[in-house]
Amino acid sequence: MELADIGKTFRRLDYESKVTGRAQYLADMSVPGMCHGKILRSPLPHARIKHIDTARALKIPGVLAVITRDDILQDEGIEPYYGPVFKDQTIVAVEKVRHVGDPVAAVAALEADAAEEALRLIDVEYEELPAVLDVHQALKPGGTLVHESVRIPESGFADLAELKPIEGTNICTHFKLNRGDIQKGFAESDHIFEDTFTLPATQHSFLETHACIASVEPGGRITVWATTQNPFVVRTQLANIFKVPVSKVRVIVPYLGGGYGGKVYPKVEPITVALAQKTGRPVRVVLSREEVFYTITKHAAVIRMKTGVTKDGTLMARECEIHLDTGAYAEIGPRVAKKSGYTAAGPYKIPNLKIDSYSVYTNKPPAGAFRGFGVSQSAWAVESQMDIIAAALKIDPLELRRQNGYNEGDKFVTEETLRAVGLKECLNEVARSIGWEKKERQRDKEIGRQGEAAVRRGKGLACMIKATITPSVSCAVMKLNEDASLSIYAGTVEMGQGSETVLAQIAGKELGISLQAIQVLGVDTDVVPYDLTTSSSRSTFHMGKAVQLAAQDILNQLKQIVVKEYGVPEDRVTFAGGKIRLPETQLDYAEVMFKRFGMQGGTLVGDGQVKTLVKDEFGEKSTSAFWFLAAGAAEVEVDPDTGKFKLIKYATAVDVGKALNPLGCRQQLAGAAITGFGQAMFEEIAYDNGQLINPNLVDYVLPSLGDMPPVIDPICVEVPDRNGPFGAKGIGESALIPVAPAIANAIYDAVGVRIKDLPIKAEKIYLALEDQKGKP
Amino acid sequence: MKKSILIKINGTERHADVEPRTTLLEMVREQFNLTGAKLGCDIQVCGACTLLLDGKPVSACSVLAVDTDGCEVLTIEGLGQNNALHPLQEAFMEFGALQCGYCTSGFILTAKALLDEVPQPTDEQIRDYLAGNFCRCGCYQEIMQAIRNVTKTS
Amino acid sequence: MRNFDYLEPVTVAEACALLKQHAGEAKVFAGGSHLTILMKQGLYQPKTLINIKKISQLRGIEYDNAEGLIIGALVTHREIETSALVREKFPVLSEAEREVANIRVRNMGTVGGNLASGEPLTDLSQIFISLDGKAKISGPGGQRTIPVEELFVDFYTTSLAEDEILTHVVLPPLPPRSGIEYIRFSSSSVVDKPSAGVAVRLTLDGGAKTIQAARIVLGCVGATPVRARKAEALMSGKKLTAELAEEAGSIAAQECSPTSDLRGSEQYKRAIVRILVKRAAVKAYERATST
Repeated sequence: MELADIGKTFRRLDYESKVTGRAQYLADMSVPGMCHGKILRSPLPHARIKHIDTARALKIPGVLAVITRDDILQDEGIEPYYGPVFKDQTIVAVEKVRHVGDPVAAVAALEADAAEEALRLIDVEYEELPAVLDVHQALKPGGTLVHESVRIPESGFADLAELKPIEGTNICTHFKLNRGDIQKGFAESDHIFEDTFTLPATQHSFLETHACIASVEPGGRITVWATTQNPFVVRTQLANIFKVPVSKVRVIVPYLGGGYGGKVYPKVEPITVALAQKTGRPVRVVLSREEVFYTITKHAAVIRMKTGVTKDGTLMARECEIHLDTGAYAEIGPRVAKKSGYTAAGPYKIPNLKIDSYSVYTNKPPAGAFRGFGVSQSAWAVESQMDIIAAALKIDPLELRRQNGYNEGDKFVTEETLRAVGLKECLNEVARSIGWEKKERQRDKEIGRQGEAAVRRGKGLACMIKATITPSVSCAVMKLNEDASLSIYAGTVEMGQGSETVLAQIAGKELGISLQAIQVLGVDTDVVPYDLTTSSSRSTFHMGKAVQLAAQDILNQLKQIVVKEYGVPEDRVTFAGGKIRLPETQLDYAEVMFKRFGMQGGTLVGDGQVKTLVKDEFGEKSTSAFWFLAAGAAEVEVDPDTGKFKLIKYATAVDVGKALNPLGCRQQLAGAAITGFGQAMFEEIAYDNGQLINPNLVDYVLPSLGDMPPVIDPICVEVPDRNGPFGAKGIGESALIPVAPAIANAIYDAVGVRIKDLPIKAEKIYLALEDQKGKP
Repeated sequence: MKKSILIKINGTERHADVEPRTTLLEMVREQFNLTGAKLGCDIQVCGACTLLLDGKPVSACSVLAVDTDGCEVLTIEGLGQNNALHPLQEAFMEFGALQCGYCTSGFILTAKALLDEVPQPTDEQIRDYLAGNFCRCGCYQEIMQAIRNVTKTS
Repeated sequence: MRNFDYLEPVTVAEACALLKQHAGEAKVFAGGSHLTILMKQGLYQPKTLINIKKISQLRGIEYDNAEGLIIGALVTHREIETSALVREKFPVLSEAEREVANIRVRNMGTVGGNLASGEPLTDLSQIFISLDGKAKISGPGGQRTIPVEELFVDFYTTSLAEDEILTHVVLPPLPPRSGIEYIRFSSSSVVDKPSAGVAVRLTLDGGAKTIQAARIVLGCVGATPVRARKAEALMSGKKLTAELAEEAGSIAAQECSPTSDLRGSEQYKRAIVRILVKRAAVKAYERATST
């Protein structure tokens, strides 16, 4: 049987159950005695709740319970306020509703239909308040406040400790980064560029909606099955809300039908637990597609970027203001603002910086983590402006990036040293793939007014740097069974990225056993040890390393048994190909275990713990345990009459450190790029006075197979990280980030118009071309 | 008021009592416990609920169960025979044509319907047939490769 | 969806009688593509649905040398798309059907349902009108036939009475020396609903290359599909040149009333109409002159 290995593609462990329809996702599951929960949501963007009457609803046959703010406030066993950073959320709205779709009440009934019927019969009297519709309005002094005051927990995430809301304003967070002397930097620049870039709120649109089954036993034991990417965070939050020790809360996570950041932190779990508690039976809540739009979005942003450069293209200074629309609740918005701020300099050496990154409350559904996490927003501005600068200075956009881009050993904006920096390699790869050196400049050809202008092609590229959440913790445990098969306990959630298989490959490689002998157990917080989260593209590095350490722990235990039982000196015991090599002979693991336990039975338990800290092993500040570097290049074809364009080719290169499962890496790269196409070309959540116009998949348009370029070229670059398992870093988010600016840059190359607002719709190109025709 | 229908699911005749409003998807998932087809958008766009009705791909979320009386339905659970997987299932695994797996049943059934109709489709024909199945994880390129591989080797 | 009664007549007469009997509380139900969406969103809650899928008279595609192509109301988009007869007689229809929604909707959605829904963002009605297509309608009082153009009154509103059923679409034989082109424009994904859809049919004068009859039908850019009659009149009696096509496009662009929405501003949609009319006219003329 083939031994497990890394750097080689193995068939994924979850594939067979998924292609046969056997894999169980949350909405496929039920537990005995389960009833159904539905949520009543606010029809208004901002209103005080004057009165709620549930009498009619309770009369519907089959209705078991209704939850309103009274239940939340009057139950001493419930702490009403929670949230990942600030405690500004409640299970259902308490004094007022803050966005269309804000939960106001919930019903549990024997049949889902009865619950729906009951929702219609809950009478809520609202007193409408002026709604804060956008960031501009939110920042007006003396205007309406979304939150009159915000509760701040005593302890929270270490990396967010300094971020606090500004009293009396709608500013949820203000992150500042200053470096050098900004005025001096501009004074020393030959040219100054100032541009404003914008992008709308978008949605993750995983095909599986949020869902939860909750059960509360007499005595307070809470069990939830949840579609969550971070079961341990949800466990902690539920323990805090329902005032029980963490050990009393069990969170089980099946396979997720996609996450992309939209399933981190509590979503429908608290309300489902509340219903379970009140009814005394298990409750299942499954959100509709529309409800997902009211639950979580990606931050819309307005980014003003002012950059000073010398005439030879050296970046000298950057002043930047980023306003992120965080919606009605902070969620993880503060960290998004911080990450956006950190990356406003892009992957470039800029000695003078003044960056102000804000997350701002508005009366819209909450924005939070989205694949790319604040860097999509900043990169849209950074990488678009790089090409504006290149065009003005008549420098090739690739050369401009090479000139200013990070090299190994350079200092990040925080003055920490960057290590394992595959930026130039990524740029070179995408440039090669897209045929950068051969591109022809067609823009000089005049577009005539009469007749049909031929379609025009153009090429553009972009690159980026991103951090991973630091500090963080991942623990893994594994059992070597009596037949030398392995059971791995890891809290990493399998949401399509293939984590299960990669962890098994790492363990199998260390131990020299086959994948078939390895079982990665399901995620259950009662069983697996602590893992912070499956997000931030961190699991290969952190959990992979923990698994590697746990496997090495088992090898060490085997070694000690051999030393003791066979009297062989420690330095004469080695491992190869799943066997223990001694001077005269070799042993199977099973034999050694038999020796240890005196029978065919027994377990060796391996433990691996990874923690990353605010300082690295060199004593330097560590904003990120490792860095993500990536580049993308697009070739487009534009119809100058209509502004419509299509993708001819897209190349994406990501420095993954080491491609542990090459096909898995390429899948992630191409997959992230495709979501990037949607974000760049089609996707936007549209609002009208706080009402969502398109909370459905007909009018919120996703990229289809028919929209794909004939070729997407995913390229894994490998600049190994000293701390990653076998040098591996992270993969999931990087390829998404350069897509939008690469496409915008390609369109500029094709037809000479610069689009600064996402999505890049045909109409915007058309209007810009019309405008261009009008100019002398 | 419930109606009694007779339907052949994965080759076996089954009897069901359904209300007129019950969808084919609800009946298959809840009454027959075949949960491979998923609810994604409820509005015929995403394709996660695709089933083959008399060999034709349909959005089961929007077909009334009563309208399937006397019809044949194929779900993902009915694919493959005698413990062997269908070539499409093998190819999807081989080429990495799935990540989270939520869209997979819909894609495989639709691809099967295509190949039953057009055994050697061109790339354009594959794209046209499958353009209405969405994969948010972004496996489109791998899915094309998997289907091409099945047609090449058949 | 909330509960409803499901009645299943087997003849047109029976169906019309049921519609009359349940007036105000019942709707015709065929493929369900349109109605299921309304029902799930709570926008429409019928007490009764009249399932017409068991009326065999409404199925089938036939060709009669005098009448033309006769398409039963229950014929699905997919059946039109794959019909050899349609491909032979009106290939523009086969081509257009390829891009309607997705394969699943095409397998269930019917041409009758498509027209009777009054959905403005569709393709078929423009092509039918450009071909002088007719709609055959049955009611308790008898049958009537109207031009397809007269079927559409407003957004989601047709001229069908409550107790009437659309039974067939009839496309008269294409006059000799005719060419037709349909172009749909999506402002985003290829599978998105169209932002604009223009059909142009040009019939030439005997052996000459002058245009005897023009049909320019603009769809998705108003409450109903409209013929750009001024643009049609402009072309009449002339040979098509690039300038004429351009001018016809500009005039046609003013003959519709697009709404600014997610799929484009009014100004942009007019610009697209202008371009589509020009391009479709050139192609239709090419086809007509090569017959």
